[in-house]
Amino acid sequence: MQTISPVFAYTFKELVRRKAWLSSAVFGLVLLGGALIVSALGQDERARLMLDLGLAAIEAISLIGVVFLTVSLILQEVESRVIFLILSHPVRRADYLLGRYLGTLAAVTLSMAGMALLHAALLSLYGWWEPGRYLAALVCMAGKTAVMGALSLLLSLALTSEAAAMAFALFFWVLGHFSSEMRFLADRSGSAFLKTTLIAFSHAAPDFAHFNYRDFWHAPAPAAGWLAWAVVYALAYTTACLALAVQLFEQKEF
Amino acid sequence: MSAIQFQRVSKIYRRSHLGRTTETAGLIELDLDISRGEVFGLLGLNGSGKTTAIKLLMGLHLPTKGEVETLGRRAPNIEVLARIGYTPEAAYLNKTLTGRESLRLFAALSGIPRAEREKRVSDILRKVGLDKALDVRLADYSKGMLQRTSLAQALVHDPELIILDEPVTGLDPLAIKEVRALILWLKSKGKTVLFSSHDISEVERVCDRIGILSGGRLVKVMRQDEWRGKADALETAFAAAVARTDGVGPIRME
Repeated sequence: MQTISPVFAYTFKELVRRKAWLSSAVFGLVLLGGALIVSALGQDERARLMLDLGLAAIEAISLIGVVFLTVSLILQEVESRVIFLILSHPVRRADYLLGRYLGTLAAVTLSMAGMALLHAALLSLYGWWEPGRYLAALVCMAGKTAVMGALSLLLSLALTSEAAAMAFALFFWVLGHFSSEMRFLADRSGSAFLKTTLIAFSHAAPDFAHFNYRDFWHAPAPAAGWLAWAVVYALAYTTACLALAVQLFEQKEF
Repeated sequence: MSAIQFQRVSKIYRRSHLGRTTETAGLIELDLDISRGEVFGLLGLNGSGKTTAIKLLMGLHLPTKGEVETLGRRAPNIEVLARIGYTPEAAYLNKTLTGRESLRLFAALSGIPRAEREKRVSDILRKVGLDKALDVRLADYSKGMLQRTSLAQALVHDPELIILDEPVTGLDPLAIKEVRALILWLKSKGKTVLFSSHDISEVERVCDRIGILSGGRLVKVMRQDEWRGKADALETAFAAAVARTDGVGPIRME
């Protein structure tokens, strides 16, 4: 366990120095600027439009960022052979994988926090200030990011190709938004094969309904229980993906 | 007492492509015992199995058959890795870090306590002549500086067993002389050194024993008294023992 923190620290430093966060921050600025222009169209709904567009942009950028970074996280270290030197030290492979994953998540969260600060500042200029609800939305986004990061990492180790891992991550990301629909279809399907396939996919893909902060957006306040369940779900799904990733990684030779 | 033991070790590489599996022998029935305090050289042509043997020692590969032991424990063993220093054939280092940060990382991974870490890192960087480039990023290091950093990471935790894969390949004559002096210094400190090389003249100057690998088989083991003082004895033995396995024919001077 003591080797997780040095691996975490060097991963975080590496990603910050490679300015992985900068492209998403710049992209975020551009999108927030776009939101500002769109918001001018509807005077009464300016703050609401700003809020929705800004949060959607932060979420999209963070998800794209975490998928791009995690699919190459181990594969690039294998390709550059840096992994030879790391694993020839007394480092458990599980610790290495966890340190790399957490370091990446920290870099993406930092980028997310930067965009959120800017977004919140703009919102407050338009007279919208509900920090509790805004933070709850960020927790949901962070949960989604953690889940997608772990899933992409697992896919990269299973498929050993960045492009294939990215394509499958996108596939699961889309499926993750239709979990309840898949279960609904499975219930009504007459074919046993289709039923089994749909149920299997609905369980394998992350269920993003747990992170849909828009459910409480126009309600008085998010329920603490709902938010706690989102955190528990994110932790459970992430742990399962990482456990499988460790199993695959333990078998690998370099 | 043995520092390294290969007991009838074979390593077969299996590659599958379009449903066809091909097998290549990396090592075949390797039996070798290297004593503590000994400097042992592995000689062989490209593809003879030198790097495979080293990767088996470091746990980067797993044997298909047989057993590998390092410092009395079956490899790979996390505790034993803390007592081994390894330098691969090229400096596979993360170039986003500085020399000091890189060494700090390897010191932390090797379990050196935080209180001692800074001193060890500064000392070893001074020892390899990099004290003036401590805070320069590795991306700005020359090839020679990277090789020295790679050597420093192998020695920072004061290991009992040092494994050097092709330590003089691509170095200038001055650097080769320094590596030779380093190996002899390590020997004088009672360390066990295993190194692989193509360079017969280097091997004969520093080794107590050598092993010649050809096509994955250990074809000859020689003691120092078999070549010391006998001009070209090692080169003649080498040429007689090895056979090209890389599909390259001899140069014909017709």
